[in-house]
Amino acid sequence: MASLSSAEWRALCDKFTTAQNLSEVESRKDPANDPFRSKYKARELLREIYCALKSFETTEGENESGDQRPTEQPVDGEREDGFGRGFNGDSPAGLRAAKLGAVEYYLGVNHIETEELSAGQEHLMNCMKQLEKCSVSSENVSLYIHVRNQLGILWAGRDETEKAQGFLETAESIYQRYMKEEGSPPMDMTEYFTTEENQLTHQERTKRFELAYTHTMYYLAQVYKNLGEIERAATYCHSTLQRQLLLNQYNPLEWALNAATLSQYYITKGRYMEGRHCLSAATVIAGLAGEVPSEAAAQESETERERRDQLRQKRAEIARCWIKYCLNLLQDAEKLLQDNIGELDTERQEELKRARRGEEEAEEKDRKSALLFGSEDTFDSIASLEEKVRCLFPLDFTEARAVFLVGQTYVTQAKEYFEIDGYVTDHIEILQDHSALFKALAFFEEDLERRCKMHKRRIDMLEPICNDLNAQYYLLIRRQLMFELAETYNEMMDLKLSLANRQADTQPLDNHTIKKFNHLCSSSAKYFQMFLDSLCSPEGKFPERLEEEVLRPALVARFRVARLHSRLICSVPSAQLDNLNKSLDNYKYVVEYCEAHPEAVAAVETELELSQEMVGLLPIKINRLKARMATNN
Amino acid sequence: LGDALVRRHLQELNTKCVVEMEKNQTILHPAGANLGKGDSRYVFAYDFCFWSMDESEKDKFAGQEVVFQCLGESLLHNAFLGYNACIFAYGQTGSGKSYTMMGSVDQPGLIPRLCSALFERTVQEQREEESFTVEVSYMEIYNEKVRDLLDPKGSRQTLRVREHKVLGPYVDGLSRLAVASYKDIESLMSEGNKSRTVAATNMNEESSRSHAVFNIILTHTLKDLQSGTSGEKVSRLSLVDLAGSERAAKTGAAGERLKEGSNINKSLTTLGLVISALAEQGTAKNKSKFVPYRDSVLTWLLKDSLGGNSRTAMVATVSPAADNYEETLSTLRYADRAKNIVNHAVVNEDPNARIIRELREEVEKLRDQLTQAESLKAPELKERLEESEKLIKEMTVSWEEKLRKTEEVAQERQRQLESLGISLQSSGIRVGDDKSFLVNLNADPALNELLVYYLKEHTKVGSADSQDIQLCGMGIQAEHCVIDITPDSAVIITPYRNSRTCVNGSPVTSTLQLHHGDRILWGNNHFFRINLPKRRTRAAEDEEGEGGVMKNSSSSEQLDADGDSASEASSEVSFSYEFAQTEVMMKALGNNDPMQAVLQSLERQHEEEKRSALERQRQMYEQELQQLRRRLNPDRQSFMGGMSHSTSAQSRLKQWSEDREAVFVRSLRRLREQVVRANLLVQEASFIAEELERHTEYRVTLQIPADNLNANRKVCLSHTHTCTYTHTHTHTHTHTHTHTHTQS
Repeated sequence: MASLSSAEWRALCDKFTTAQNLSEVESRKDPANDPFRSKYKARELLREIYCALKSFETTEGENESGDQRPTEQPVDGEREDGFGRGFNGDSPAGLRAAKLGAVEYYLGVNHIETEELSAGQEHLMNCMKQLEKCSVSSENVSLYIHVRNQLGILWAGRDETEKAQGFLETAESIYQRYMKEEGSPPMDMTEYFTTEENQLTHQERTKRFELAYTHTMYYLAQVYKNLGEIERAATYCHSTLQRQLLLNQYNPLEWALNAATLSQYYITKGRYMEGRHCLSAATVIAGLAGEVPSEAAAQESETERERRDQLRQKRAEIARCWIKYCLNLLQDAEKLLQDNIGELDTERQEELKRARRGEEEAEEKDRKSALLFGSEDTFDSIASLEEKVRCLFPLDFTEARAVFLVGQTYVTQAKEYFEIDGYVTDHIEILQDHSALFKALAFFEEDLERRCKMHKRRIDMLEPICNDLNAQYYLLIRRQLMFELAETYNEMMDLKLSLANRQADTQPLDNHTIKKFNHLCSSSAKYFQMFLDSLCSPEGKFPERLEEEVLRPALVARFRVARLHSRLICSVPSAQLDNLNKSLDNYKYVVEYCEAHPEAVAAVETELELSQEMVGLLPIKINRLKARMATNN
Repeated sequence: LGDALVRRHLQELNTKCVVEMEKNQTILHPAGANLGKGDSRYVFAYDFCFWSMDESEKDKFAGQEVVFQCLGESLLHNAFLGYNACIFAYGQTGSGKSYTMMGSVDQPGLIPRLCSALFERTVQEQREEESFTVEVSYMEIYNEKVRDLLDPKGSRQTLRVREHKVLGPYVDGLSRLAVASYKDIESLMSEGNKSRTVAATNMNEESSRSHAVFNIILTHTLKDLQSGTSGEKVSRLSLVDLAGSERAAKTGAAGERLKEGSNINKSLTTLGLVISALAEQGTAKNKSKFVPYRDSVLTWLLKDSLGGNSRTAMVATVSPAADNYEETLSTLRYADRAKNIVNHAVVNEDPNARIIRELREEVEKLRDQLTQAESLKAPELKERLEESEKLIKEMTVSWEEKLRKTEEVAQERQRQLESLGISLQSSGIRVGDDKSFLVNLNADPALNELLVYYLKEHTKVGSADSQDIQLCGMGIQAEHCVIDITPDSAVIITPYRNSRTCVNGSPVTSTLQLHHGDRILWGNNHFFRINLPKRRTRAAEDEEGEGGVMKNSSSSEQLDADGDSASEASSEVSFSYEFAQTEVMMKALGNNDPMQAVLQSLERQHEEEKRSALERQRQMYEQELQQLRRRLNPDRQSFMGGMSHSTSAQSRLKQWSEDREAVFVRSLRRLREQVVRANLLVQEASFIAEELERHTEYRVTLQIPADNLNANRKVCLSHTHTCTYTHTHTHTHTHTHTHTHTQS
């Protein structure tokens, strides 16, 4: 039996190490005009290894030819995975097949990296063929996973997502079956070409093997995402994070931010328990990244400055995710509890409170089935953080207030880093969230006076900044602020009116109330108008055609301005006439715009319908007023 | 925003061309390894596609000039308007990216052309009150770190990207150098490029993995020469050389950004991006629901270029060679998706369900009102609307116009009054103590004693235009009578023949001297009282002593049948219209006593009928009697003892009473009409008030202002009344809209 001498073997191992080094390290230094120089060198070495192995195999293979099974093109997803067939993975034949497969694998990856995808694919499929010959064992399971990961990437890049999915899902099941049936730390592919003394430790083997599988999870997440199976994708992202934590293969800050980002997915899906768990874990893990270097230390060295900035920024970002958690929880509860005009539906409130009991039990069950993060030492701290805020919808003011206060704490925290000076956009986004927190809380507040004050707080925090911002750079954010201010003033106006009416239902409004009402009304109209003015060209011309993303806001703003003008309480008939005419003009704009641009109709159906009505009816009201003025003059 | 640009590839001669362009479409044909996958032809549509493979193909070939015209000119124009502008260049090395952006000496690219045009235009538009400055900065973004390429020492230091609320996003500490020509820019760019290369070598980095951003800052200063104040308009032109994708993909090291399409990111470092994409997909457009994963420094720095108030173009260059198929495809895909990079900040509006509901209610209310209005007589409504329109036209006349018109009317009125002999001193009758004048008497206290006619030496009275005092109406002759003032200040009245003139109730046919306080009746219903200067009055009293004004006569004395009933006349004003009228009637009755006869006969008849117990008839007569008495003098029935009866007087009386009755009935009808009309208006007002949800009350009150005199009428005034709407608001101040109907 011809066999490689140990010297020859050692040389071959060295060749492999050189090839690895060329491919992983040297290639980074390749010049732009010869970007694949090292890769090509590595490829040559791999080819030599392959030939050496092959010649060794041929001489040996003669004896084994009888055992050789006919092989068909293996395609994953269509057949059983490689358990219990062919050579035993640990047999010499099996091992040789694995070694040849590994070289094919490296050649495949090398070709793919130098953009020779077809050649790369061929090598990878050859690797698959080699593996076909043997059953899954600790000697080859790692290669089984790796080659499928690569094929997954390859096919995904060719828009053949289902094919990619097949390879990756097989990798997943091979891993699971291996772990169930064997579980011993498997050999790493690099070990095929190392001398005995360089064998990896069990720990290192596990680490590498698990990392390969973590990648499988991650690739599957992307495949599912590309297939539109978002929920499944999220589950795999979650698993990926979980594995990183479990295997201690993560950077705390990066991990924490990813977990916080995942919470955002759960929040948008209304899965608050999972969202809270992700956030609590994020906060705890970010804490593991260490203390924030002092300002003094940051001034001393750039590394410290960088570290300080990174820590503060990431923690502030996690705080912002917490704000979103509180905000969405409040807003979703609001949606659940409001009647068709946005007021608190007390019947629904009672009903939900009654249903609460059952839900709490379900929550416990959920908790068990949820994918938990954390190791023994972090689990408790994550759990205790979770206890600080509920994940059930708040159903009354007290509950809502508790959520609000947590959110507000994070607002303060986030603003510490995202100061207006230097972080204008982020700072304002936090302010907008703060305002939204107040707004959601106001929904639960039954006392109109206090509700009104909450809206006043919103105005106080948004109005100055809106007027300070440079319109050129912050056009979009200013538009948002203007719209929000307009709506808030409108809200306050309505509240003031119902407050006055509630206090003295039959009595006419007193002068002070009217003044206040008119002030709020015209402020609201003013900001809607500012919003509309912001759409004008530099020459001050209102666009003939509204951009898609401002179409509805612009038409709604017109509609609202129309409404507000007709609501101003005015005793001077000429001013009253003026207001009604302005109102009519704005209703007319909506109607005429939709006539000229029929595609806009769908965006503002209700508003258009009402505008049309008003365009028909307002002139009569105006004529009446004119007649009254004429006869009274 | 995407432009695919085919540039001659160096090795193209040896390979197959796989890129084809048709109008604004770029078609990529399968090549090499990708053959045999069926029809895997890709078609991408962009705003412009420029084909520049072979200059000899004139109709297809797009040179540097064309590219500049299509992209550069509009960007430049916008920069001068104050917009920010940005050009991204993206493409594989060798695909002609730098040729497109920089070009050669003979064939300058987009940047040199843009800069030259920029300076040309600043020179062109430069004037005393307008000046321009141009500054540049140049930076590199590598590994999310920013380096200043124009600062000789800066390449080692990383800069921080910050935002200022007024100045916008900026790089803290980035140098900004003033330039005066494209030459300056060119040399700074090449300096920067050198420093970029050096840094890359030092740090063992690849320049193709870094983005380079060249900013041109145009400051347009507008000076107001008079006030000496000036304002600035700053716009920024960013030229971005995006990191070439090829090397990054090849080494697998660049995967910071999430790969497009169905590609899988290999490295776990992109996990955050994948997760973030999930959250985004979960909420569609509503970005405010979650915290966006921090974008790269580049997108952050250029966020104002990527949406909103700026103009952005992306130039993607591709090689037509089959060899570069993969790269070309990825570039085309990237360019195709470039549109999505644009920053769309969506306005999150509140649900406006409540507003909609309120408005629906109002629509219903208004609609109900409309149907109600329609159910009224339609023509009437139309008429009213027309009337309103007319009134509105009057109302819309400007204030100055109104004042002018008012003035005109006042003058016209004066002329008219003057021509009628009426004193213009309208402030009352007491003005001319030293003059003789006539003052009108009217049943309506508001009109009583309003007209003052001063007497001249010779005053003619009549309906003709030649007369000094023009009167018209029943019984007024063209030349009715003459009043003379004698040199010794006696006032003499001389009626013309056939004209009815009564003084103090007695018909006058010949010349008669008048005394202070005498009542004159001309024709049927023109009553006047004469005022003489004090001196003359006294003299007259002294002289006459009888028949005149019993000013000093004791009030306790009963009035005799003669009717000089000045008993209670403690003041001149007491000679009222009623008094004068009764006086005339009394005198007339006193003379030929026709009324008394009627009354007596009626009374007699009444007595007889009483006796004959014809109760009903008696009552009728009694009623009639009562009426007659009341007509004669409601206050002095007891003195109507000896009335005689004559047919002429009876008919006159009858006519008079009929006239009076007619006037009365007519006036009453008008009054009623007006009250009805006012009520209608009030109803309407309340109606509208209710609809406006105002707590408003409307009332009709009748009031007759003393100063309400319409000048457009002749002297024969009938009556004027005013409807007042009191529009009581919830406000403290109450507005009164006064609406006057006047009839003549």
